[in-house]
Amino acid sequence: MSAESPETMQRREILRRAAWMLGGAISAPAALAILQGCSAKEQGVPAQAAATRFLTAAELALVAEIAEIMIPKTGTSGARDAGVPAFIDAALDGVFPPADRDRFRAGGEQFEAAVKASGKPFLEREPAERVDIVRRTLESALSTGHDPKPFILMTRELALLGYFTSRVGITDNMEYVAVPKEFHGCVPVAQMQKHVYWE
Amino acid sequence: MQQNAFDAIVVGTGMSGGWAAKELTEKGLKTLVLDRGRMVRHGDYPTAMTDPWDLPYGNRITQETRQRKPVQTRTGYPSPANQHWFVDDLDNPYTEVNRFDWIRGYHVGGRSLMWARQSYRFSPMDFEANAREGVGVPWPVTYDEMAPWYDYVETFAGISGSLEGMPTLPDGKFLPPMELNCVEIDFQKRIADKLGRKLIIGRVANLTAPLTHQESPQRGTCQYRNLCIRGCPFGGYFSSVSATLPSAERTGNMTLLANQIVYELIYDNDKAKATGVRVLDAVTGAQTDYFAKIIFLCASTLGTSFILLNSTSSRFPNGFGNDSGEVGHNLVDHLKAPGVNATVDGYLDVAYTGRRANGYYIPRYRNVGKDKRPYLRGFGYQGRAARSGFGRFNDNALIGAELKQAAQEPGPWTVNASSFGEILPNHLNHAVIDRSRKDKHGLPVLKLDVVLRENELAMQKEMVNDAVEMFEAAGYKDITVNEKDTYAPGLSIHEAGGARMGKDPKTSVLNQWNQVHACQNVFITDGSFMASSACQNPSLTYMAFTARAAHHAVEELRKGNL
Repeated sequence: MSAESPETMQRREILRRAAWMLGGAISAPAALAILQGCSAKEQGVPAQAAATRFLTAAELALVAEIAEIMIPKTGTSGARDAGVPAFIDAALDGVFPPADRDRFRAGGEQFEAAVKASGKPFLEREPAERVDIVRRTLESALSTGHDPKPFILMTRELALLGYFTSRVGITDNMEYVAVPKEFHGCVPVAQMQKHVYWE
Repeated sequence: MQQNAFDAIVVGTGMSGGWAAKELTEKGLKTLVLDRGRMVRHGDYPTAMTDPWDLPYGNRITQETRQRKPVQTRTGYPSPANQHWFVDDLDNPYTEVNRFDWIRGYHVGGRSLMWARQSYRFSPMDFEANAREGVGVPWPVTYDEMAPWYDYVETFAGISGSLEGMPTLPDGKFLPPMELNCVEIDFQKRIADKLGRKLIIGRVANLTAPLTHQESPQRGTCQYRNLCIRGCPFGGYFSSVSATLPSAERTGNMTLLANQIVYELIYDNDKAKATGVRVLDAVTGAQTDYFAKIIFLCASTLGTSFILLNSTSSRFPNGFGNDSGEVGHNLVDHLKAPGVNATVDGYLDVAYTGRRANGYYIPRYRNVGKDKRPYLRGFGYQGRAARSGFGRFNDNALIGAELKQAAQEPGPWTVNASSFGEILPNHLNHAVIDRSRKDKHGLPVLKLDVVLRENELAMQKEMVNDAVEMFEAAGYKDITVNEKDTYAPGLSIHEAGGARMGKDPKTSVLNQWNQVHACQNVFITDGSFMASSACQNPSLTYMAFTARAAHHAVEELRKGNL
């Protein structure tokens, strides 16, 4: 039979109180604060950058720079602040089928080789040059068929996903409300402080 | 034997089993409730309060999950946030003669935890169709008989919706409707004007206001997080775990046991009754017999087919209650067709706040009134309009500060439509037991053979064409048919049939009270009983039939008829 952990029993007790409160006068966010406090420690922690899972250190450095060029630190956090390089490394290892991540790796090598063919390696170029290379590579990929996605568009999709599912990526750029409480179907955008998180 | 004896046994705790447990215990019956999966109590929702950044891999499904759950992932539903609700396919095999997507949740609460909560009544047209068209067997129940039971379950569960007065989709006892958004209202007007079709807000088992009764103090209103599939600690939507099982527990009459796989009904030739169930403990492998005066099979459509077919005796050599030869037959699902998307110009100055756990619904209009198609029955659409998110930048050349600035604005409006169509019951669509294979408990497995036939294939084409036509009529752009959407029976997770009800014991398995014709102390109230499936989401109908059958069972028991 299923043995219950102390956490489970504690959660149940808290839930009973939260539900009672919801039925009473206290607002949902008050219950939320209690619920979050008791569930946080059970959640997994995303992979850290310390050791890579799929990419080599050199590949990670390349991918990190491309991601940062696409989503730079400006008034708000950038790709590196959001942990995008480690996210991409983990996703390639955990989410992608072997054929796709091998295609990613081969594409990264081709990207490097093409840059080197016209001068220094990518990471040794001047910042403005690097931005220009990324922009031109993207435009070139988009102007031809891109199914399956080439390296630059895979990197872009992963960077966007990693950034906009990170805490800083969401909270710096959008109005994230964990418990909206209400739905309003037709609201002037002008009345919204920021783009509301809907994903 | 005494220690394992109860007044009633309920097999399964999903949508139907939860209702059977509640109704039987509230009527005073000492009831044993068994589920084959692990225990889940209200609040045991491990990811319910997890913020998006605390989910691994941006909540994308991993290779490991794909390998363990190759069937479950055909739906696109499992993700790190909810994959614990979907079975491990390697541990729970079955044989597919033709592709059949059997999507399951083996835990207390079953699929009532993961359901999409859309709740629609069947209409008189739906109950009359088989008799009128000579398809399958006539329903032995009318809409008028069912209406008070729909009232009853809607009131307890809490269904939000709008009153529309449509004969094809009867109104119910509704909590206030959720709002359509601005573009959905635009779409509603345009298809009404151009095509005479009606669009309404989905009727959904989420509480838009407090319940009108005091029986579920553990339930609060919907918080518009749209994370229902993870389980809702606020009790904002109806599930067995949040609603019916707590009511059953409060009576003091329920014994709820998890990890108990019922694999056989025990039949007593002398009494001409079922006396109990044979159970395998999923964890210890221990075998136990439990006994009761009445048995409710709520093990899910295919789970119940397995138990019936696996329960052979001298009286029932071809499976329990199978005098008609219809057990395991007439399986249906809801037909899907590729989804259709479009983009909508304008409305850039408006958006919405909150995350609505619902969409729009376009009720069936085909083969209604004067409309006559080259196929029988019809379909409905579900979809939503939304402003697009960061995914719109995937195949896009914007970079740097420009990209970030653009991503801080809501994207253009998009609208989608997907459909559920009716599949005609057909004896050839069936399940049998495959004794050449065993699951990890040593039990044989089901072999499923369900295919789409002429009527379905004709309807499926129109399901796509009509959606395109509606978006064209509305003047929307970039209309795209998602040709990659492939449908096989089961994918809609609305499988039904296998023990259809009917008046004639020679052609049906159950009578009009969900009792096995040949053994009336066994009631089957999961999707098995469905003589036809209409095109509406089925759960509300399972609830109504279960409550009605439970009341009948208790009356018959008191009269000494069982």
